[in-house]
Amino acid sequence: MITQEKYRTTVKELLANGTIKMAIGYRPGSTSDRRRPLFIRTSEEADQLVLDSTCITNLSGYLVAEGLLSDEKRVGIFLRPEGIRSINILAAEYQLNVDQIVIFGFDSTGREVRPLQGQTTSDFSALLSEIRENPPLTTKEPLLERIEKMNAKERFDFWQQEFSRCIKCYACRQACPMCYCRRCIVDSNQPQWVNTSSHTLGNFEWNVVRAFHLSGRCVQCGNCDRACPVNIPLRFINQRMAKEVVDGFDHFAGLSPTQEPVLASFKKDDTETFIL
Amino acid sequence: MTETIHNAQPNIYKPAIMKIVARHDEAPGVRTMRLEFQNPADHEQFKKTFRTGMFGLYGVYGEGESTFCVASPETRNEYIECTFRQSGRVTSALANADVGDLVTFRGPYGNRFPIEEFHGKNLLFISGGIALPPTRSVIWSCLDQREKFGKVTIVYGARTVADLVYKHELDEWQKRADVDLVLTVDPGGESPDWKYRVGFVPTVLEEAAPSPDNCIAVICGPPIMIKFTLISLKKLGFDEKNVYTTLENRMKCGVGKCGRCNVGSVYVCKEGPVFTAEEVSRMPAADL
Amino acid sequence: MTRILFSDKLDNCVAKWRSAGLTVIGPVQGESLSSYATVEKGTDLHLGMVLPDRSLKELFFPQTEPMLRYTIKKNEIETADFTPPSAQRIIFGARPCDASGLAIDDPLFGWDYKDEYWFQRRNESVIVTIACTKADDFCLCTSLKLAPDSTKGTDVLLRPLDKNRGWLVEELTDRGREAFAIISEYLQESSETALPTVEVPEKFNLDACVAWLQNPENFDSKFWKEISMRCIGCASCTYLCPTCHCFDIQDEGDTYSGIRRKNWDSCSFALFTMHTSGHNPRSTQSARWRQRIMHKFNYFPGKFSVNSCSGCGRCSRQCPVDMGITETLQEISKL
Repeated sequence: MITQEKYRTTVKELLANGTIKMAIGYRPGSTSDRRRPLFIRTSEEADQLVLDSTCITNLSGYLVAEGLLSDEKRVGIFLRPEGIRSINILAAEYQLNVDQIVIFGFDSTGREVRPLQGQTTSDFSALLSEIRENPPLTTKEPLLERIEKMNAKERFDFWQQEFSRCIKCYACRQACPMCYCRRCIVDSNQPQWVNTSSHTLGNFEWNVVRAFHLSGRCVQCGNCDRACPVNIPLRFINQRMAKEVVDGFDHFAGLSPTQEPVLASFKKDDTETFIL
Repeated sequence: MTETIHNAQPNIYKPAIMKIVARHDEAPGVRTMRLEFQNPADHEQFKKTFRTGMFGLYGVYGEGESTFCVASPETRNEYIECTFRQSGRVTSALANADVGDLVTFRGPYGNRFPIEEFHGKNLLFISGGIALPPTRSVIWSCLDQREKFGKVTIVYGARTVADLVYKHELDEWQKRADVDLVLTVDPGGESPDWKYRVGFVPTVLEEAAPSPDNCIAVICGPPIMIKFTLISLKKLGFDEKNVYTTLENRMKCGVGKCGRCNVGSVYVCKEGPVFTAEEVSRMPAADL
Repeated sequence: MTRILFSDKLDNCVAKWRSAGLTVIGPVQGESLSSYATVEKGTDLHLGMVLPDRSLKELFFPQTEPMLRYTIKKNEIETADFTPPSAQRIIFGARPCDASGLAIDDPLFGWDYKDEYWFQRRNESVIVTIACTKADDFCLCTSLKLAPDSTKGTDVLLRPLDKNRGWLVEELTDRGREAFAIISEYLQESSETALPTVEVPEKFNLDACVAWLQNPENFDSKFWKEISMRCIGCASCTYLCPTCHCFDIQDEGDTYSGIRRKNWDSCSFALFTMHTSGHNPRSTQSARWRQRIMHKFNYFPGKFSVNSCSGCGRCSRQCPVDMGITETLQEISKL
């Protein structure tokens, strides 16, 4: 509660003195355990701000909404550490200018919410390096353990089965801060790169293409996984891809706004194990 | 996936097979094709239902279907003519098809120009660029029964001389004593030997100043041309009820199911594509 | 005299229907998702859930469906139609909102041109609906002038008895009576009364909302932009909706042979209305959300005299950013 009150006051101050034109945060949702994205432009709207452990959605995707940052004014945004990493990647991929972003950082342990000190992404670099070295302990999910024990064939079958439920609503893409393409590859039809039909093959193509496009970019915020209306455990694919990228290229995505995108840069000592 | 094939049920999404019997380049990227039905039953159905103003879905298997008007008149229903600009996946495939190749046609769909109600009236056709084809269907439907109508005026403009379509027919209309053709190109679009007008369609229309008395206007063109032409027609004294136009929207089914062609509450594929300017004015402008 | 179907006879009934050649379908809880699916035994049915995650629509209008197979030969194109595999089906344990959804879409699939993909399945299906004795925060049938025991789209309505003992049977159509004649030996005459249906509080005043939507001045209201600002433009609301019916037609294959399919499509996607020229009549997410609400509560009822919403609440329940029809109409009623 104290963190929430403090931040309400900060947001009001920054709006009043013209530092930011808007802050993106959370407000109560349709049930007690739900939170909605909130766009704060006035002091009254700031009073709706809620900050507690149920504020989970990574809001950074809203920053690349068409036109939001084009007037070069600053926007504030409530972010957990993985959200701050998203901002860094978006900056590294030239989707936004970090100088326009005022970060209201927070994190939670259990039900306890605490603020993170800092306002610009560079203020958090020590924190992000620390997370890289000592990732927060999470309880291992039984399903993940099951997947890890599978051989390649079993894993392939498992995912094919999971993807067969996909309805191609593209909620995973739309919820993902990294899926900012104005025209996604599945929406291009000359040529038709990805099958648009939602059958086994089409679903497999789509989900695999997306996983590849996210490798070295995903921060595992879980937006896609939570957005999926048919409960495909997408987090496990992206976790695995992130691990592969760390193991293969020593690349932990989103450390700084100038970090080179791993799959868009070449180093002489890159491993070549993927070349068959 | 296990799926069974049956041939018994009538399938509203099944197109007719058409053979390309002629093709003709109209302007850069714009082509006219004449298509003939391969199945006599499909042809009979077409002859029974086709009236000027209706549209169809032209397709190439493997690529899909694309919606445009039937450019030939209802008075000549032995074949279908269509004119299209090569721009997307389907129109590119159609453009690659040669005389003798088979393509598909689904339709004719939609409503029509009520030309019986135009009997005895003067007709004013206004068209811009690639939008002449739908107008041309009405023009020939009327010229083929010329005696039933009063004065016929055609105002047609394009960006440049090269962009004018149906050039051979423009010549023919130019020569006819019973047709008053006003040709224009946008300023800068004229060629050294251009002997007609230079100026935008609405301006040229106001200069030609056709009388609104006992007159029906049919306009087709890009949205911006329609917008300003409607203003000009109003100035000239035309009643919105006597002004007809056709709307174009992205369509997939053509039969009121797939849900994408709606403008406000109107299903363009079923209640259109032909509307009076008065009907259009009641639609939400932002949705057009 | 009312008849009762006791729960302990359900296995027998399923077996009986199956031996009579009917496919039995009902709510099933999968490992991570619930849906209406084919069952082999009565015990496979999960009749206790508020409603399945996925709607009944997809059994009549699947997410992807082959329509034609084409084969291109020299001077000839062969096309073969696909029609749904013919199967007499009984859907046991539909929720009233899902059954209503089917009836709502009937006129759309039937006006002038009859979509056989829809109607063949409609004609071959008996819908046995169970009245609701529980609801969750998102249920809103009563706000749509429907009820936890609506009979729209239903052939047989079952009203639950206490302690999950069974249901009072209300046969509403001939098709329903025929299906229940098959299992008549398991029905007992009774004078018992059923449990009351659940109270679903009304969430908004529909008439007031519709009046607001019908006022042309409100089409350009800034409300649309505000309410949809957080919409991320996915299709989960439309795809889970029991009445959303929009689709795309896509070819798969090569120049020589392939399949033309009917795939779900959604008004939330920018590409849905985009012209080849690049012009898009609904170029912003707010215009697309407005279209969805207008279509359901203004345009569709204008054409077919019925709202295109049956109050299942899936749109709100599943929305990644907690939007939905409920919130939008609640906000409209405040205007």
